Amino acid sequence: MKDRAQLSSFQPGNFRLKLIVAMMLVVSVITALVLYGVGRRFAAGAEQEFERQFRGELATLRNAQVLRQAALVERTHALVQKSRLHAALEDDALDLLYPSARDELRDIMTSESAAGSDPRPSALRARFFRFLDRNGRMISPGSFLDAGALGPAEEADLALAAAPLEPQVGYLARAGASGGEEMTEVIAMPIVSTETGEVIAALVLGFQPMPVGPAPGTTDIQRGVWLAGRLHLPGLASSGGAELVRRLTEAVANPSESGGKFIVAVRGSLHAVYYNRLNAGSSYPPAYEVCVYSFDGLLAQQRRLRWQVIGAGGVLLLIGLGTSRFLAGWLSRPVEEMAVDSAENREQRVRAEAALESAGEELQRAARFSADASHQLKTPLAVLRAGLEELQVRSDLTPEVRHELSVLLHQTYRLSSVIEDLLLLSRMDAGQLKLNFGAVDLSQLIEAALDDLGAQPEADGLTIEQDLPPGLGVLGDKHYTSIILQNLLENARKYNRPGGRIRIAAWRDGDRVLLVVGNAGRSITPSAQTHIFERFHRGSIGENIPGYGLGLNLARELARLHGGDLRLVGSDNGWTEFEVRFSAAPSAPVTAKESP
Amino acid sequence: MKLRFTAYCLCLGSLLPGVVLADAVITGQVALPKRRARAVITQRYEIVAKAGVLSVSPPLAVVYLEGSFSGPSTRPTVQVAQKDLAFQPTLLAIQTGTRVEFPNRDDVYHNIFSYSAPKRFDLGRYRADEKPVPSQVFDVAGLVTLRCDIHEHMRALILVVDTPHFVVTDEDGRFQLKGIPPGNYVVKAWLDSQTVRAQPVKVTDEAELRVDFK
Repeated sequence: MKDRAQLSSFQPGNFRLKLIVAMMLVVSVITALVLYGVGRRFAAGAEQEFERQFRGELATLRNAQVLRQAALVERTHALVQKSRLHAALEDDALDLLYPSARDELRDIMTSESAAGSDPRPSALRARFFRFLDRNGRMISPGSFLDAGALGPAEEADLALAAAPLEPQVGYLARAGASGGEEMTEVIAMPIVSTETGEVIAALVLGFQPMPVGPAPGTTDIQRGVWLAGRLHLPGLASSGGAELVRRLTEAVANPSESGGKFIVAVRGSLHAVYYNRLNAGSSYPPAYEVCVYSFDGLLAQQRRLRWQVIGAGGVLLLIGLGTSRFLAGWLSRPVEEMAVDSAENREQRVRAEAALESAGEELQRAARFSADASHQLKTPLAVLRAGLEELQVRSDLTPEVRHELSVLLHQTYRLSSVIEDLLLLSRMDAGQLKLNFGAVDLSQLIEAALDDLGAQPEADGLTIEQDLPPGLGVLGDKHYTSIILQNLLENARKYNRPGGRIRIAAWRDGDRVLLVVGNAGRSITPSAQTHIFERFHRGSIGENIPGYGLGLNLARELARLHGGDLRLVGSDNGWTEFEVRFSAAPSAPVTAKESP
Repeated sequence: MKLRFTAYCLCLGSLLPGVVLADAVITGQVALPKRRARAVITQRYEIVAKAGVLSVSPPLAVVYLEGSFSGPSTRPTVQVAQKDLAFQPTLLAIQTGTRVEFPNRDDVYHNIFSYSAPKRFDLGRYRADEKPVPSQVFDVAGLVTLRCDIHEHMRALILVVDTPHFVVTDEDGRFQLKGIPPGNYVVKAWLDSQTVRAQPVKVTDEAELRVDFK
């Protein structure tokens, strides 16, 4: 029952399902790990690329700015060497200062009327010029108008504590022509006396506004200027940039701060902010270039990347799952077959055992019955035979009575023979027959059996043909092998026609020895052929032939007990032939050690 | 103009006896500032400005006599040439009304101009072959700084004095003024743009008078 329970709990489909689930789990985990790694790597790469691009653009902007400043300083430096400016300042001719400067600065100043058609780059054009005296005070142009318009407050912003020893860069937020605010870059260049090296004045030039807002040639950079606590960056400073302004205020609280970076959220999206002092060491108020880089591009890129990775992961997973399903099916098929086979085997075995058990019981009961019956029959038969023999020797019997006694006596012999056979069969059925295997000389046994056959009165007139090699050895029990031979020869004699023929042939065929016994006589009908080996079967041809239908059955059972068999080779045209298969004796034929 | 002419004639009349007398000579020496290390190869005069004070290096002085003089109304024309990217001479003293020519003796352009109050002018660019030679008449007494617009380092001084008696000292400050009619004068020594020393003198028949500026 336990086996049965186990059997029912094992289902091949279950196994396949488990295998698929396990493989899918493994595939999923591996895919997830790979995707995680790839995603991380891609994300890091994208971030680095983004940072690199940003830094590159920033460096480009900064280089342009530095170059521009250097160019402006250079030009301004060349201008302050002009003799007329020196003459005006040194020769006490301040009234000629601004007119002279207008002439000398004609190349650098923007001509208001020709601004549109002027082909020269406007970045290097000055909007206004002023002079500071040796004390840093503004030398007012007075009624001179060509120096560029500046308000009084703006002129005050340009003044310094003293005429500078080095060029100073400053920034001025002015109302632009378009109504918006413009950032003007101011360079204060000292004018040095050629004789003494003293700084006698300074030329202040205001250049074209530096562009504020989206930087040209870049993707996401917004560029502005932080000046005097205010961020000049249209779009960002006004709306949503409060946090940015607060962080900037903190960052540039120290006047010697040269630059840095921070990240801040503006209008809900992250921005990287780089600030860089534009006029390091200047006497003018510190100004910072503020570059704001939106992370939106990066985030969008990362989002795109994430979806790509997820998509690729899905495809990979599908492929992996399909493959694992296929593999699971492929791997589990032999196991399932094995399991099915073993289940069938088990069932068959259980059935066979049950059948065997009942059959064995029946067999034992039958065997016991036949043994008992044989035993119980032998005793009265012996008494009967003794009585008949005693009667036969009496002298006062008539010949008729004597003949009758003789027939009765013969019947008791037959009965005894039947009982012996039944006893033998029942022992065989009960598996109690002990065989003493050994090498048996088949030729010798056949000779002996033929001798016995020749002694029978009915054998007269029969021709016996032999085809026997001498000393043909088989493996078997000598006594029971002899019984097989006797039964076959007996049948060949009994079912022969008068004056008929018996043929005996034997030969070795590999590890087997084949014996064929043929006899003339009426053929066995095909319908009877299937029953001739059954117990107590007697063919229709044997109605007037003595026998009780146990011989062939007994011979076959004995042949099978010896590991061989007995079969009907054929029965037609008045010739019937049986074949016995024996195991050949392993060694060379030996002569029997004991006599039959 | 008429008034000035009348005064001129009056002066001339009052001084007439002195003129008749033999002219006197004033000699002397101006104590010049210590010169800097002497240039070994080429001795060149140049204009230096220190704290807004213009002077000549190596130091030179101009000595002139202030007073009323009669004399020829014609003035000789003098020259300040540009040679080797420098003015020659570096320091020029002239009487008011004198015409000064500025010949270019270099192979390059020069552009002489002055922003000084006594005489503002701008000659424009010209080369050596410029004819006539650009010139200016200096009518107002005072110090005029000459510059070249093209060569910022070029500098020269013209001291315009309202007297016919003036002289540039030698390197040691020695000077001699000749033909001085008798009278009361003030001898002035110009040392730099901010320093002018003065000594009153009385010129008599004495043939020689000595005036030193310590």
